[in-house]
Amino acid sequence: MAQKLGIVIDMKNCIGCSSCAMACKIENNLPDNMWWNRILTDGGSEEGTPSGAYPKAGEASTLAMDIFPVACQHCENPACTRVCPVGATYKDPVTGVVRQDYDKCVGCRMCMSACPYTGVRSFNWEEPKFAVEFPVGDPDVPAHQKHTVEKCTMCWHRLAKGLQPACVEVCPSRVRYFGDLNDPSSEVSQLLASREHMQLLPEKGTRPSVYYLV
Amino acid sequence: MTNATAPAKGGKGLNIAIIVAAVLTVAGIALWVVQLSGGMIQTGMRNLDSWGLYITMFMFFVGLSAGGLIISSIPRAFGMEGFGGISKVAVWTSICATVCAIAFVVVDMGQPLRVWELFVYSNLSSPLMWDIIVLSTYLILSCVYLWATLRAEAGKVSQTALRVISVIALVCAVLVHTVTAWIFGLQQSHEFWHTALLGPWFVSSALVCGTALVIVVVIALRKVGYLELDQRYLVKLAKMLGAFCMVDLYFFGCDLLTAGFPGAEGAKVVEMLVSGPLAPFFWAEVVGTALAAAICFVPKARTSGALVVASALAIVAIFCKRVQLLVGGFQIANLDLVGVVNPHTVTNATGTLAQAYQGMVYWPTMLELGVVVGVFALGALLLLLGLKKLPLKPAGK
Repeated sequence: MAQKLGIVIDMKNCIGCSSCAMACKIENNLPDNMWWNRILTDGGSEEGTPSGAYPKAGEASTLAMDIFPVACQHCENPACTRVCPVGATYKDPVTGVVRQDYDKCVGCRMCMSACPYTGVRSFNWEEPKFAVEFPVGDPDVPAHQKHTVEKCTMCWHRLAKGLQPACVEVCPSRVRYFGDLNDPSSEVSQLLASREHMQLLPEKGTRPSVYYLV
Repeated sequence: MTNATAPAKGGKGLNIAIIVAAVLTVAGIALWVVQLSGGMIQTGMRNLDSWGLYITMFMFFVGLSAGGLIISSIPRAFGMEGFGGISKVAVWTSICATVCAIAFVVVDMGQPLRVWELFVYSNLSSPLMWDIIVLSTYLILSCVYLWATLRAEAGKVSQTALRVISVIALVCAVLVHTVTAWIFGLQQSHEFWHTALLGPWFVSSALVCGTALVIVVVIALRKVGYLELDQRYLVKLAKMLGAFCMVDLYFFGCDLLTAGFPGAEGAKVVEMLVSGPLAPFFWAEVVGTALAAAICFVPKARTSGALVVASALAIVAIFCKRVQLLVGGFQIANLDLVGVVNPHTVTNATGTLAQAYQGMVYWPTMLELGVVVGVFALGALLLLLGLKKLPLKPAGK
């Protein structure tokens, strides 16, 4: 049976350190202002702030904040691949990874509009600029191209070498798990079988391959 | 339109208008080159609002292209009395508007040099691909229809053949608006767009602004003596415009009620339109369409001047609708989560995410406006060149 590679994130233990976002940025040599993996928060109106009020003496705290590391959801039923006019984004039949071909992308941004998880797909709005003068990360990562759409590749270049995605590798609190969701004996399947979990926007019918343990 | 000052047989005024349009077209192309070389960072579009004025204009011009073809093909297809020989001019406005619509897709593309891929790697599951196919068919068919009309007048093409072509053209015209709607309406990611009504609604909006455009053009052409047209034909066009306005408002009402009634997600859409950031465009559309219909329905109000006003109101109203639809699609975020804001995230990236969504989440830059003027000029150039060079006058004159 074909694989369904996915990522499971334990929100109970995520400390919101952004290491996964940084690892992604460096591993894939992402240009300035480009973040394939973003740490979103559910709480106050500003990033990284909680809702509620700081507790006064003798009162219980009402402060609350959830942390959602969000990248491409590598959906089983992706909205993006269907609408791409040239098939530059497509689902890999063997791994289930949603891939993006920079050389083919015509830059129409139909996929960005169709994806319900707005923001996981990014456009190179200008010639890619970099904070340092030399490329960083893995040399097998394809070059970024102006006026094309890109997104998380699930570290395709690492998968080819039998490695797990960089974001999973670096997580200091070990809350990111990677594996085949179609294999009942995999760690990710076991976690989903034993722990309560959620997906982002399940009502959109995209059947994401990223799960959040709650 | 822009040649309102041109004398009867074209002449100096028309020539000047053509030169002005040509200069503006070249300026527009230059700005497009600036956009491509310096990057689309110079537009107002960003990752969270990834389409903007170009796609708004694309929708708008696909709509404008409707009127001409439909007005000239309906009477012929159903064997009814037509609109007094304006058929050819009407089809020519259709062709010009279609060219503009295609141009707006091209200037929106990040990689226009890869446009050939659309024909080599066509992904037939993409509504955008469907639209490219239907739109090019529509353009070719409009040209064939115009050519067949001319040949039929010369007695070289039979009336039956012309009638068959007009039926095909009519079907294609309805398809082109529906498929354009599907680019938006088939996306489950935008609450505002994801409605089965979007297709029929695009057809009705297209009929409103398309008919209005034809009225403006023929009144202008009558004024400068390019063609003669009995007032009763204009009255007929005006009545049609009024009816189309009512249908469009009716669809809008149906859609708002269906969206808002359950008080769930769709209620946010209604609130955004009625009292939120898009309220100016919403009310301009509703009031403009209603006023246009009122002018068209009151016999005493149907003077040439008032009909031009009504048509202008209708065109502006439909433009406002396109703005609501495009910006409104991006105005309501699916993921109610807060993240980093940087210059690629959203149009107004100076504050927090919440601040970026307080007003309209997208608005265009001067560069985008300049490119839009350039595409407008291209359309005007084609229109004027057609009036000058093509035998578009009513037969027998």
